[in-house]
Amino acid sequence: MKTNRTISILFFLLLVMMPLDFYLIFKVAPTERIMGDVQRIFYLHVSLASGAFLAFTCTFVSSILFLWKKNLIWDSAASASAETGLLFATLVLITGSLWARPIWNVWWTWDPRLLTVLILWFIYVGYFLLRGGIADRFKKAQYSAVIGIIGYIDIPVIRYATKWWKSIHPLLTREGGGLNPVMKNVMFFSLTTFLVLTVFLFLFRFRLARIEERLQKLKKLTED
Amino acid sequence: MKFMGSAIAILRKDILLELRGKESLSLMLFLSLLLLVIFNFALDTGKENVSSLASGILWVVFTFSGILGMGRTSMAERDEDAYLSIVFSPASAESFYIGKVLSNLLFLVIMEIFTLLFFAVLYDFEKIISMLPQLLPGLLLGTLGFSLVGTLFSFLTTASRYGEVLLPFLYLPVVVPIILGGVSSMDIILNAKAGGAGKWIQIMAVFDILYFAVSLLLFRYIIEE
Repeated sequence: MKTNRTISILFFLLLVMMPLDFYLIFKVAPTERIMGDVQRIFYLHVSLASGAFLAFTCTFVSSILFLWKKNLIWDSAASASAETGLLFATLVLITGSLWARPIWNVWWTWDPRLLTVLILWFIYVGYFLLRGGIADRFKKAQYSAVIGIIGYIDIPVIRYATKWWKSIHPLLTREGGGLNPVMKNVMFFSLTTFLVLTVFLFLFRFRLARIEERLQKLKKLTED
Repeated sequence: MKFMGSAIAILRKDILLELRGKESLSLMLFLSLLLLVIFNFALDTGKENVSSLASGILWVVFTFSGILGMGRTSMAERDEDAYLSIVFSPASAESFYIGKVLSNLLFLVIMEIFTLLFFAVLYDFEKIISMLPQLLPGLLLGTLGFSLVGTLFSFLTTASRYGEVLLPFLYLPVVVPIILGGVSSMDIILNAKAGGAGKWIQIMAVFDILYFAVSLLLFRYIIEE
């Protein structure tokens, strides 16, 4: 199976990249002048956020493809990527909170970006609640695809609506412009590592979903 | 014309059902009243505070009574698969959706009118009635948004084994922009605050248009077997 080989390759790749990424973050990247060591959490936070965004986009696209093609393989892809995205979004909220405590002096603040991620998190938790509540395989796929699409297009609206409150989130453009070259390279490497991790986790869960699917089919065959 | 005809027929069916069974609307009104009483215990609603608390209290009541009502009307369709007779009729999925949106909208508006009256009486705040003309655009756009999303989602959730209990979990995060817009625009108008209610009205209008288009496209996947 092709997926199996890709998963193995990605696994060994991550075995090298992950420790290297952490080494770069903690040992090579210079300490930020104002925030100090706490700033290092940025490398993880931003990378996780990008991974979550990639995963939810994949859920959105797979959901559309499912409704269009009616092939359950797209539902497996949608749910696998939503799982990955939900995991990453949870970690984004946690790492953000850990960073905010010493820097903003609060664990949480009602900033548009934080709020958008939190609401997104709720939407995808709902996605899995709904999936858990429907026994019929095809209905489950169809209904969760609707959530996968609606939830995703809600992001810009939530973002826009919450923006009316003053944002205190650091602006990425300013951050990128002021980043020293070593920091920039570490950030780039960290981003790449986490995107590889996203694809790896996605494929891993995707393969599991496919195997489960086949098992169910076999069970049905033996029952008949 | 035929399209709107089927939608109106579904609206009429729901009104008739409500007049005979009195299942959704009466429950919504009771919940509204009850929530208003609870808020009175939970918050300090003295004469000087009530103006600043009004928009928050009212929209929370609208939201929860709305969830209850929309869950009920969808449950009625799911009971003994009643909705299938509409699916198998010549009426299109889109006109079914619009019919349900209209009936939910109607029930929500009635609930809101009563809630505003209850509020004016219980909290001694007649201003909310006299300012109704200015509040109307925000109220209507917000309620339409509730109905557009609620109709779609209540149909989704009633198919699960959790039934309508699941509705708030999916519905609330998605309607956050509407709740934000509704609360803020009402607060700005009631307390003559700076900031412009117009921007919030715009956000709600954009939300409504977006969800009208998307729900219209997606609704057929929810009712098709």
